[in-house]
Amino acid sequence: MALLLVAAFAGLGLRLVDLQVVRHDDLSREAAGRRESTIIHPSRRGDILDARGNVLASSLFVKTVCADPSLIGTNQTVVARALAPRLKMNEAELAEKLRVRAWKDQTGKERVDRYVILKRKVTLEDWEKIRAAMKSLSFGVDEKKLSRRDRAFYLNLRQRAIYTEPVDDQLRIYPGGTLAAHVLGFTAATDKLVEGNAVTELVGKDGIEAAFNSALNGVTGWRQTEKDVGRQELVLFREEDVASRPGLNVVLTLDAGVQDIVESELAKGMERNAPISIWGIVVRPSTGAILAMATLPNYDPNQIGSKTPIANLRNRVITDTFEPGSTFKAVVVSAALNEQVVSLNEILYCENGVFSFAGHTLHDAGHHFGNLTVEDIVVKSSNIGAAKVGIKLGEARLHKYVRDFGFGDPSGITLPGEVRGTVHPVKNWYKVSIAQISMGQGLTVTPLQMTMAVSAIANCGRLMRPVLVDHLEDEHKQEVFRYQPQAVRQVISEETVKLMVQAMKKVVLPGGTAPQAALEHYTVAGKTGTGQKAPYASRKYFSSFIGFFPADGPEICIAVFLDEPDPKRYYGGETAGPIFRAIAERVAAYLAIRPDLQAPSDQPLQKLSSNPPEVIAQTGLPSR
Amino acid sequence: MARNRKNQSAAVRFGPALKALLICLFIGGSGVGYVWQQNQLLELGRQKAEKEKRLNLLRVQDSQLGRHLAELQSPKSLETRLKELNLGLSMAQPTQIVRLVDAPLTPAGKATLSLPPAERQYAERRTAASPVP
Repeated sequence: MALLLVAAFAGLGLRLVDLQVVRHDDLSREAAGRRESTIIHPSRRGDILDARGNVLASSLFVKTVCADPSLIGTNQTVVARALAPRLKMNEAELAEKLRVRAWKDQTGKERVDRYVILKRKVTLEDWEKIRAAMKSLSFGVDEKKLSRRDRAFYLNLRQRAIYTEPVDDQLRIYPGGTLAAHVLGFTAATDKLVEGNAVTELVGKDGIEAAFNSALNGVTGWRQTEKDVGRQELVLFREEDVASRPGLNVVLTLDAGVQDIVESELAKGMERNAPISIWGIVVRPSTGAILAMATLPNYDPNQIGSKTPIANLRNRVITDTFEPGSTFKAVVVSAALNEQVVSLNEILYCENGVFSFAGHTLHDAGHHFGNLTVEDIVVKSSNIGAAKVGIKLGEARLHKYVRDFGFGDPSGITLPGEVRGTVHPVKNWYKVSIAQISMGQGLTVTPLQMTMAVSAIANCGRLMRPVLVDHLEDEHKQEVFRYQPQAVRQVISEETVKLMVQAMKKVVLPGGTAPQAALEHYTVAGKTGTGQKAPYASRKYFSSFIGFFPADGPEICIAVFLDEPDPKRYYGGETAGPIFRAIAERVAAYLAIRPDLQAPSDQPLQKLSSNPPEVIAQTGLPSR
Repeated sequence: MARNRKNQSAAVRFGPALKALLICLFIGGSGVGYVWQQNQLLELGRQKAEKEKRLNLLRVQDSQLGRHLAELQSPKSLETRLKELNLGLSMAQPTQIVRLVDAPLTPAGKATLSLPPAERQYAERRTAASPVP
């Protein structure tokens, strides 16, 4: 008996030594693995807001719904029938996913898949519905009569067979749909490791989403804790608890109202003129703040996918270049006036529409101008006149002013993918280049560069850096960083600006190239452009109009560009001009810009007194 | 000596027992107190976890409502709603806008309007159309 007792105690002792000494490390590691847990706190990606605080892009935490087919057994049809409408999936496809799949591991041991992703980006509301559906699932058997083991099987099926990933995913939402899609850009999901756990994170792929990715993305937090056997957290044993830091909100200078006006008017212009693409920009010349920037055709960043044509993703306002055509004459004449090589009233002979220069023949499209003043060269957009102005200015000075107006350099807008255009150095110019460049050929510019150059004329000759982001703020709306307007350089003098504005005002008057761009309540100064696309015989054009108003105290500069409009009607004045007018009228009313003209329609007093004016709020809606 | 021990007072005789009892009570009480405290900590932890879960849920709901609000405030949604309700609202035209500017006082004490001519005319017409009683 004593021997037996000794043997028993010896056995227990050996077991104790085995557990506590020999296998201590392995077992304690296994125990810790079962007990300890790291909970990831995903950081919410910041919002993108417009200048008035309207949300343009926001994030929503969503679930990734998974299944453990081994707990479902042969009941996949019942489960699929209950879940398919809630997961918005095909029932047969879902049932196939829920089927148990066995495979052999490296040691030859048979294993079954216990982790099948059913659907990503499921909203919390939908997940609650899925949980409720699983709880109330019926299998057509009286479970009370089943054995304990079978009852446990059904309980596990209802509670554990369908589950979610422990770390929530994020869904990027663009409430405006296609509104400002090219400015906002879009995101894609990537995986990264946080404390040894894979976390799916959104990464900006284009537009503001890409340019401000690091500011928008916050810092992921985590918590080291312990869990009980039911996988419930034991708060008592929390160790490290690092809170996540949400991303910063990016507040743009863009105004959703102005953007919507621009996009809707561009869409009408697209229908009317059938170009392959149409672009519009609205800028405040005094600050360089961009109020709207649109490219059509566009895309919906909520539904970005393989069906979206790649060409539609490009923000052509900054990624595409073109030969500017006649809008560039504003640059050349400004430079010549600033250098005082010509005066506005100086008369130049325009060769009756055909000018031979450096072995090339230059034409005035559809016109045979004789003598024109420099002002008329701008108003009537004479190619030969502009070429002669350029020749008088000289190659070196022309090149200097072209560069000073910002051509050949990125404008510095905070968007990815901006190109600089092509401005060749003078040493690479052909003899005819000076005449070509003066007409807006032989160099390429982006629509944004062209708009900023005309804005410089509107801004007393001072070129501004385009500003798209006003400030960054934290989740409590506290400002973190403000982007101040930046003057790049003074390009031309204020006296020159006055002369240029005087000439550009006449462009929209009868006799000018764009009377259809004139406004009823505002004086407009602008310049049309109709450039031929290479090869020049292809009858493909690039039409544009860039104007600002009120001309003598400009508040807004609007640019409209059409790439390959219908060849039956392609002049900038008749294609882009009316679109400019439509945008300008609506934007002026929306922003309540002070009129500087008394329109003929304002004359009848009775009409006004029967419909008295109202004091309006900034929103443009009548106050009540 | 024995007589003396017999004649000892009750306090002296039951003192050690009382001490032992008090020590037992203290140890027992401490044990019970420890268990109670641990239970309280676990319970508070559970409550904290529940409240954190609720807070997260509210945050998610808040962002969902924020998203819904943003959708309702988007220009396209407002435009659609305007069409649906047929309220006849449209953008105010420049002629319908009157800007109220504080006119500087002249030395004679008479206010003058420093408005552009076109706007001054609107303001004058507005004054004529609705005279102040």
